[in-house]
Amino acid sequence: MLKKILNRGEIIAVALTAFLALIMGGWQIMLVAVLAGILIGLAAPHTKNAVPRAAAVGLGIGLVIVAITSFHNTTLNTLPGQEVIPPESSTLGTYLIALGLCVGFATLTAFIHNLHDDRKRQIAFIAMLGVLAFAFPFFEQCPGLKWDNFNFGDMSAGCSVKSNILWIGPVIVMFIYGLQAMGLNIVAGYAGLLDLGYVAFFAIGAYTMGLLNSQQLGNQIGSPNLFVWGFWLVIWFAAAAAAFAGLLFGAPTLRLRGDYLAIVTLGFGEIVPIVVKRLDAVKIFEPISLFIAQIMGKTGDAAAQASVCLVGCFGNALDITSGTKGISPINAPQLGDVYTFKVGEFVPWYFVALILLVVSAFFIFRLRASRIGRAWVSIREDELAANAMGIDLVKTKLTAFIIGAMFSGFAGAFYASFTSFISPDAFDFSISVIILAMVILGGSGNITGVLLGASIIMLIDRVLLDRLKVIINGVLQGVVFRDVASGPLSVFVNSLTDATAYKIAIFGLILVVMMKVRPQGILPEQTAARRRPQ
Amino acid sequence: MLELKNVHTYYGNIHALKGISLVVNKGEVVTLIGSSGAGKTTPLRTIQGILRPREGSILLEGEELTKLPPHEIVKRGVSQSPEGRLIFARMSVKENLEMGAYQRNDKPGIAEDMEKVFKLFPRLKERIGQRGGTLSGGEQQMLSMGRALMARPRVMLLDEPSMGLAPILVDQIFDIIRELHSEGVTILLVEQNARLALSVADRGYVLETGEMALSGPAKDLLHDPSVKAAYLGESH
Repeated sequence: MLKKILNRGEIIAVALTAFLALIMGGWQIMLVAVLAGILIGLAAPHTKNAVPRAAAVGLGIGLVIVAITSFHNTTLNTLPGQEVIPPESSTLGTYLIALGLCVGFATLTAFIHNLHDDRKRQIAFIAMLGVLAFAFPFFEQCPGLKWDNFNFGDMSAGCSVKSNILWIGPVIVMFIYGLQAMGLNIVAGYAGLLDLGYVAFFAIGAYTMGLLNSQQLGNQIGSPNLFVWGFWLVIWFAAAAAAFAGLLFGAPTLRLRGDYLAIVTLGFGEIVPIVVKRLDAVKIFEPISLFIAQIMGKTGDAAAQASVCLVGCFGNALDITSGTKGISPINAPQLGDVYTFKVGEFVPWYFVALILLVVSAFFIFRLRASRIGRAWVSIREDELAANAMGIDLVKTKLTAFIIGAMFSGFAGAFYASFTSFISPDAFDFSISVIILAMVILGGSGNITGVLLGASIIMLIDRVLLDRLKVIINGVLQGVVFRDVASGPLSVFVNSLTDATAYKIAIFGLILVVMMKVRPQGILPEQTAARRRPQ
Repeated sequence: MLELKNVHTYYGNIHALKGISLVVNKGEVVTLIGSSGAGKTTPLRTIQGILRPREGSILLEGEELTKLPPHEIVKRGVSQSPEGRLIFARMSVKENLEMGAYQRNDKPGIAEDMEKVFKLFPRLKERIGQRGGTLSGGEQQMLSMGRALMARPRVMLLDEPSMGLAPILVDQIFDIIRELHSEGVTILLVEQNARLALSVADRGYVLETGEMALSGPAKDLLHDPSVKAAYLGESH
């Protein structure tokens, strides 16, 4: 019966946003309402009455979302273990605003989606997303903003109630991963080279920032600030270092094909964290310094030997990366003397990450439409034919590898500064796989798709599963096991239903289902001609 | 224009070309015929540098091509419409054609040649935004030839243009080869359909298991009794 009223896209929109409303409740009702509106607008059919229809459907779904949110606020939120929802988020005014946002965005998106002129449509979409991205931190931080206590860096300072359920931190991480997914998309999506060790470049970018923008190296040689070069400079070094690593790894391996290349890149992905782990006690002293001391006739005397010591003499081995302990603290960016970024003050970080992402997306988009972009795709399509067209296969593949690595270097440098702490564990093989999953899920070869894939996976990873865990545990303790709240049975069941523990299984399941249902990804690659119609 | 001198090519240990020599003069259509498995595609891959000859030399207007990588050879004016067409399936018709001009930098010249290709193959213009993989076999052959022409080649290598096409389409394709011939494009045509190939060519070579069995003007070969028996399906 539902199918008669709504089309497939609208049903997906309803199901998705209703689920989000159920587990997020009053905290994120505005975001959920906007998301619902956009999805409905996109799902609206290309007919004359699309806009009024979207408005009507938006109103219906808005009411559903408000009802579910209200249910969450009044019922689920009273269960044990929940963070108490502030009264601001469950007033009639909040609900009406959410309803208005849902209807408004449904109407607006449907209108834009039905514009005939492709160019106008693209610009309108980008403008809408730009405004949303800009406004996001302002309405996301807290349910009620008090302007008398407003602080740009830390908007939650102006909140009437502070929340732990903020999306802005996860969204920044999402941007970092989105940047990486776009970089991997060049290698795997455009050029068709399966890279299973992409995390290596992320690690190299992050460690470049860690080493050149912290006191890690300076402390070893007695002048702590010698290697504190500042974020804005080092991020370029990090990108360059990652790109150089791409050249170094790529040059000998890109003659390999398909599976063999994947295995070699897998190896590089493993090598880099291991090298980082082992660079915690470097002694160039032992063979070389001893040898030099001997030549200079300074044998036997320890002090004399120390005078020709190169690096890390005697007990003082040079600790470059701190091994598994990791490097911390890594300095944050500074805007002259005006403002220094701080951990936990998310908004400035958010905008830097946003700019990094948008500029990169634009750059990659232009690259794809250029001569080299066509060459990458042609190699993926048919190597032999590409060769016969006069494409230098090794050089072109190497370019893809280097440019892909460069974006991962940017991402790594930002990540290191943002978290202020890096250790080899953060550059595990699973990161490579997750980034590849983003590319495949969203649509390999399509920038928008890849970013969508990154958003979906990061939202599941960083937000949804945590919330799901809290809610399931709340329901179990408050409803099912009310009388055995701390009994061994409830502990067992709670750990069994810990949603975060099923993360990798859920990603795997998503990939399996995608391959079965829509192997080309959610938003498949479009040919250039469809982007630029004649 | 193009000259092969005593070229030996191997696939691993298999001796595929046993010292073939061949000349294509400027403005000529020369055909290389032979039964399937005679190694007809191998000379083309060798000329383009995708395979390396172990012995012998390949000259383009006196310049040695033998040691050059494929992209340098394309740059010097040797383009190919390969066997099986090898269209870039997920790229548009326009992008496929642009790939043909990959080694060129003269934008106005490329645009001009694209118009020429569309004049030669009006069908491609209708399909300009479509993905290469969605074209029919005949259209893909046209696209493959158009793509090779986009390089503004000094010598165009055409590998089995009739393969897998309906007779009416084969006739169309060969009409276009005649048209190219009259415009003065130099073509080396490898073809299994010997009668058709010899009917458009100036001269022909017959390849048998990696060796040149016969060569001469196309008209003479058409009437040669051994060719008739082996390749034209006529008894004498």
